Amino acid sequence: MARRPSTASVARRTIVTPVLLSVLLVIFALAAWAAGSRPFNQTVIDIFLQVIFVVGLYTFIGNSGVISFGHVAFACLGGYVAAWTTIKPMMKSSAMPGLPDWLMQMEIPFWAAAIAGAGFAAFWALVFGAVLMRLSGIAASIATFAMLAMVNSIYSNWDSVTAATSSVVGIPIVRTVWPYLVAAVLSVFAAWAFSISRHGLALRAARDEPTAAAASGVDIPRVRLVAFVLSGAIMGAGGALYAHSIGLVTPDTFYLGLTFTTLSMLVVGGMGSLSGAVIGVLILSSLIQILRWLEAGVAIGESSFALPGGVQEIALGVVMILILMFRPAGIMGNSEWTGRLPRFAKPGAPGPDNRSQPTGDQT
Amino acid sequence: MSLLSLSNISVRYGRLTAVRGVTFTLAEGEMLFITGPNGAGKSSLLRAIAGVTPPAGGRVDFADHDITGQAPEDIARLGLSMVPEGRDVFGSLTIEENLMVGTGMHAGSRGWRARAASELEAVYATFPILKDRRHAQAGLLSGGQQQMLVIGRALMTTPRLVAIDEPSLGLAPNITDQVYERLIALRAERKLTLLIVEQSSTRAMMAGGRMMLMRGGEIVLDGDARALGQSEAMQAAYFGYGDH
Repeated sequence: MARRPSTASVARRTIVTPVLLSVLLVIFALAAWAAGSRPFNQTVIDIFLQVIFVVGLYTFIGNSGVISFGHVAFACLGGYVAAWTTIKPMMKSSAMPGLPDWLMQMEIPFWAAAIAGAGFAAFWALVFGAVLMRLSGIAASIATFAMLAMVNSIYSNWDSVTAATSSVVGIPIVRTVWPYLVAAVLSVFAAWAFSISRHGLALRAARDEPTAAAASGVDIPRVRLVAFVLSGAIMGAGGALYAHSIGLVTPDTFYLGLTFTTLSMLVVGGMGSLSGAVIGVLILSSLIQILRWLEAGVAIGESSFALPGGVQEIALGVVMILILMFRPAGIMGNSEWTGRLPRFAKPGAPGPDNRSQPTGDQT
Repeated sequence: MSLLSLSNISVRYGRLTAVRGVTFTLAEGEMLFITGPNGAGKSSLLRAIAGVTPPAGGRVDFADHDITGQAPEDIARLGLSMVPEGRDVFGSLTIEENLMVGTGMHAGSRGWRARAASELEAVYATFPILKDRRHAQAGLLSGGQQQMLVIGRALMTTPRLVAIDEPSLGLAPNITDQVYERLIALRAERKLTLLIVEQSSTRAMMAGGRMMLMRGGEIVLDGDARALGQSEAMQAAYFGYGDH
């Protein structure tokens, strides 16, 4: 059977993954809508925002194999774009008097702010990435962390345009889950489209074997840069939406805390897999939520039962250690969710080994 | 007209000199084996040609371009495709994805998709086992299949010269036979120029073509593989006059 190996045929074969993941997200959104409870609604919005962030991280880390500690900086850039462009001019002039006049007068809808945030973050990803993408391994990771520290430091001190460390309030709050769902689904599809694209393929090849990839004509810094810019854009859009979900931003919203939560979700889900990115968020966020309820206290019959405060962090740590002990490459490993069970692949046609990265040394 | 020419190439790793002043030319369509004992500098020479380890001195010309010190991806674009040692397939990618990586560098040129598709069919025709398992993860293939895959991957870039580092490393002899059979057939079909680093000089003699013997970073013998194999000079050079 002679079949043309076009991008279209690869797309047809793999599109089931983003579709299934989107269905999963839609189920969460419907649950929030059906429950109709304010706190639960907010929880689901938080989950969608985490999905956007972790999918943004995956787009770069998963395909390139370079761990980035700095992506939350792009969320910070996006979050402040939302503040600059959506707060009422009167409030802006008192909180951030240093803004240029055209920006001071600007008042755009939240979705436009998300797009602007994505564009602004992508621009800076291009600038930083042009330098950083020449580095590899731990040097690259440390340099991305330095980038995060730089951005945080600038936003914490540039009083007149960021209000320094104090909260910037007055960002219009968007309480319905649907826009967040749409953004999460879009980011899942963008990440999928990139990883099956020519550049995504080249980048994944370079992740597995850099020397052989270069010998096959792959310009590694360039394909890394493409992924960095796209993932920066996703993080920027996520940051802007984050700002709209709570109505305020501070530089420390987008710093170490968010960096480590999002990275651990990616690691637990499986760094080399888009399904892992989404499922990692869903599992860890649900767990965090359940522990929060238990800490707040649950009534069982006459008596009420509550876990002592702080159990949430401890239990989360234990669960992460257990998952990584038994599945070091994360829940999904490097395989994607295709609706089929890889364990029950036909004998003679071995399914993907989703526990560990194949080393290729079998003879 | 020579396709590849090296003049006075040397390779150093810190204070260690791996290749000392190697000079030779390779004509279009030739098959050259570089043999020699461990540590003779064979792989270092190959890596210097392909740009993976830039040479410390000398000059490499390929297809009328000075490629000395150029990046490997740029050298690959000119039509010099290297198959690195150790069959380093892209383990988490499928066979077909492995093969398609090399076509990316022609992207954007007119009709590249159609050309990539026909290259793919040609590689599948040469190595039918790859077609049968096109959607299998490359890391799960056997050693012989991985060797075929990396050769196929090199062919996907439509190269003029393929440089292969130790295709027989770690393979059972009958699998190595198959690999060589395909290589020789490919050379005839595509008028491909082959540069093969091979520790086993017997392999080179069986395959024919031209053979060079390296020792201590230098070329000590150069000639017809079969004729050299019979000579006493070969034995003496290979075993270093009894110092082994």
